[in-house]
Amino acid sequence: MKRRNFTKQLGGAAVLTASGLTLPAFKKKSQRQITILHTNDTHSHIEPFEATHFRYANQGGVAKRATLIEQVRKENPYTLLLDAGDIFQGTPYFNYFGGELEFRLMSMLKYDVATIGNHDFDNSIDGLYKQLPHAKFDFVSANYDFSNTVLDTHVKPYKTLIKNDIKIGIFGLGIELEGLVGKKMYKETKYLDPIEMTQEMTQKLKQTEKCDLIICLSHLGYHYKDNANKISDLNLAKATKDIDLIIGGHTHTFLPKPTLVKNLDNKNVLVNQVGAYGVNLGRVDFYFDEMNNNEANGTSILI
Amino acid sequence: MKLIYTFLVLFVLVSCKKAPTQLTKITAKTTVVDSTVASTTTITDFVAPYKKQLTTKMEQVLSYTPINLTREDGKLQSTLGNLMADMCLDIANPLYQEKTNNTIDFAMFNNGGIRAPIPKGAVTMQHAFQLMPFENELVVATLTGDKVAELVSFFIENNRAHPLSKEINLILDGKDYTLMIHGKPLERTKTYNVLTSDYLQNGGDHMDFFKNPVTLTPLDYKVRDAIIDYFKKTDTLKVSLDNRVISKQ
Repeated sequence: MKRRNFTKQLGGAAVLTASGLTLPAFKKKSQRQITILHTNDTHSHIEPFEATHFRYANQGGVAKRATLIEQVRKENPYTLLLDAGDIFQGTPYFNYFGGELEFRLMSMLKYDVATIGNHDFDNSIDGLYKQLPHAKFDFVSANYDFSNTVLDTHVKPYKTLIKNDIKIGIFGLGIELEGLVGKKMYKETKYLDPIEMTQEMTQKLKQTEKCDLIICLSHLGYHYKDNANKISDLNLAKATKDIDLIIGGHTHTFLPKPTLVKNLDNKNVLVNQVGAYGVNLGRVDFYFDEMNNNEANGTSILI
Repeated sequence: MKLIYTFLVLFVLVSCKKAPTQLTKITAKTTVVDSTVASTTTITDFVAPYKKQLTTKMEQVLSYTPINLTREDGKLQSTLGNLMADMCLDIANPLYQEKTNNTIDFAMFNNGGIRAPIPKGAVTMQHAFQLMPFENELVVATLTGDKVAELVSFFIENNRAHPLSKEINLILDGKDYTLMIHGKPLERTKTYNVLTSDYLQNGGDHMDFFKNPVTLTPLDYKVRDAIIDYFKKTDTLKVSLDNRVISKQ
C-alpha cells in the first residue's frame, strides 16, 4: 500500500492532450482503472439552455448528462460521480420545488458524493435538511461544524469507498459563509479553517484509513486574483499534502484541463473545475498497477 | 461439492489478498454537454410533470405594460430602472414603517441588476424571474447626508442609469449638481433612509457608501417578491422617463 510519487511526467510540465483513451497494447492485466466524473455549480439547471442563449445555447441539461455518464459507466464500471456544491439556485425549479427535483435527479444519475456550496443554504439550513430524504448520495464537509444544527450527523467530514479494490477517500470543504450567506440562513453552522481540517483529513485518510486515492471536493473557489492570499483550491493544494485531486467549485471557473500544483511534498496535485450549470462533465482517470512490476516508480500525467 | 468448496475458499483467499498498487497514470478529459448528446428518456419523463407545473406558473399573467421596458432607453435613467426603484419602494415602505415608524426617503439599485427587459404586452411570472433571478433581499440603510453626497458622486462618476426612485430630483450641470429629495435640498447633517438590496449594501457593484450605515434595517423580503407583489396589484404599469435625473449638458 505504499503511496506512489508523482515524479515522472511526460514532457516535463508540459502535458500531452490525450483523451482518456486506453491503449490495449500497454494495458496490463493487473491494471486497475478508477474513473472520476464530476460537476460543480449546476445551480438548478435541469434543462439545457435555450437555443437563443448568448453563451451556452443548447448546452447542459440533466437528461443529456445522464447519457454521457451511462456511456462512461459502460466503459468502466469502476466510476465515481461527484459534485462540488451549489446544486441549488438559478432557475425557477429551485424556487418552486425547493431543490427536491435536483436531489432526485442526482440520485437517479447515481451520484456518489457531493459537498455543500453557499447557495445550498438559500432556503436556509432547514430548507437543505428538508430535501435530504431525496438525496440517495452522501454529503461530505470537513470544515463546516454542523453539531448545533439540524444537519448534525447528516453530513460527514469524509467518506471512503472501495472500487476495483482501490480505496478512495473523499472529503469536503466549504467556503466561509459569513458575509456571503445571511446568518439566519446558515444559523449555527461553524466555519473551520480549511487548511487545518485538510491536515486532519489527509492524516486520517492516509494513515488510518489507508486510502490509495484522496479526493477533496471543494467549494472554496479556484483562485482569487484580487485577493491572492484568500484560501482557494490553488492555495490549498500548495499548503497541504497527500491530496491527489481537488474538484473545485464556486468561482464557476472553466478549466480546459486540470491545473497541476506542487504540494508541500513537492508532489503534483490535480485541481479541476468545469465551469457551471452542468454545461460540462469533468473526467479524471486514475490507473493503478501492482508494484514489483519492473516499472519505473512514478506517475505519468497525460492531461 | 467438496471441490467447489475448495475452489471457493481459494477464490476468496486470492481476491482478499491485495497486491500493493501504485498510481502509474492519470488522464483527464472534460466533455461539453451539447446538442450532439442524446437525452436519456427516463430523465426527461421524470422531469416532465415538474416542467408542466412550472410552465403553468411561469405563464401566469400578473400585469400589463403598454410600452417596452428596458434598462437602456435613457442616459441616466431608464423606464425599467424607474419602475424597479419605484415599485420596490412602494412595497417596502409599509413594511419599514411597521418596523421603525419611519419612512423610506428614496431607493437606489444598480443598473447591472436589471437582468432582462420586459416587452410590451402581458407581464408574466416568467418576466419577474428573468428581471430578478437572484434571491437578494430588500434592506433600508440609514445614511448620513455626507454618505448620500458620496452616493451622488458615485452616480455621476459611474455615468450609468442606476435606478433611483421618483423622490430624487438630481440636476447635473457639468461637475456641479443640485439634489432635491422629496422637494428639499440635501442636508449634510441629516440622515436618510435609503432602500436597496442586501447585495449592494454589502458593497456589491462597488457601492461602498452603503457599507457601515448609521443603522441597517433588513426587511426579510426578496426583491423578486416585491416585484411580483407590485405586478399583481397593478393592472397596467405606468412608467416613463421623468425629471428624477436631468443632465443640463
